[in-house]
Amino acid sequence: MTTQDQVNPPPPEGESSISLPGIYVSLTDLPLDILSIMDKVRSPEAGAIVTFAGTTRNNFASKPVTSLTYTSYRPLALQTLSSIASSLLTKHALKGIAIVHRLGTVPIGEESILIAVSSAHRKAAWLAGEEALEECKEKVEVWKREEFEDGGVWRANRDGHQGAEVKEGNKGE
Amino acid sequence: MSATPKPAAPGNFTILYFATATSFTGKNVESLPAPLSLRKLGDVLEERYKGIREEVLGHSLVTINLAYVDVPEEGEDDVIIQEGDEVAIIPPVSSG
Repeated sequence: MTTQDQVNPPPPEGESSISLPGIYVSLTDLPLDILSIMDKVRSPEAGAIVTFAGTTRNNFASKPVTSLTYTSYRPLALQTLSSIASSLLTKHALKGIAIVHRLGTVPIGEESILIAVSSAHRKAAWLAGEEALEECKEKVEVWKREEFEDGGVWRANRDGHQGAEVKEGNKGE
Repeated sequence: MSATPKPAAPGNFTILYFATATSFTGKNVESLPAPLSLRKLGDVLEERYKGIREEVLGHSLVTINLAYVDVPEEGEDDVIIQEGDEVAIIPPVSSG
């Protein structure tokens, strides 16, 4: 009945992005660079660039995390990132907005997401930067898996703490 | 740029699994026979992966060709998954 099951994860795909006027969103397997994302939103009409860097924590509720891995439904996640960016660009009259998310294994303490927004005045940029992060955490089709000494969990932002345990003998990767 | 695997064989659609759905099925992707009523998708998956309805599907959303769809209740118009469609099971996300 099943014709082409595929058990192994697809190979790393490097970087995929969408660029539109005032908008840059990207998913990448490479380390993130704050300067290059700032350059994506730099504008002579802007009086402020606000940036946010989300970094990977070494514990969850005091329990040591040994590594973190992000996976994604890339085409859908890019579509969602682009839609979030587009609505904030309009809502806050931004000059530019850029969001990049790293995928694959991210070493502890490194950046997993960068957001940069530019606007004529700082208030709009502060607000838009925070909203962009909250929207991403709620909607973007990226999943974080935390590995502990005694197994791994898929984290869920929705409830903040209760991911599903990866069951013994039921590991998909 | 796409994570999309090669198209499903004739008479099939592609279904993608992520996160807890991958862990539960042991797969990232597979092909299932089309056409299939979206309302029956849960039954088909439950038959293949006992317990997936409660453990995974109950907390997940479904997309067809990159668009979210509501799984119809009894009495509502059904959606038919067609040959070549790309369906995905979307568990609660955790970006950032």
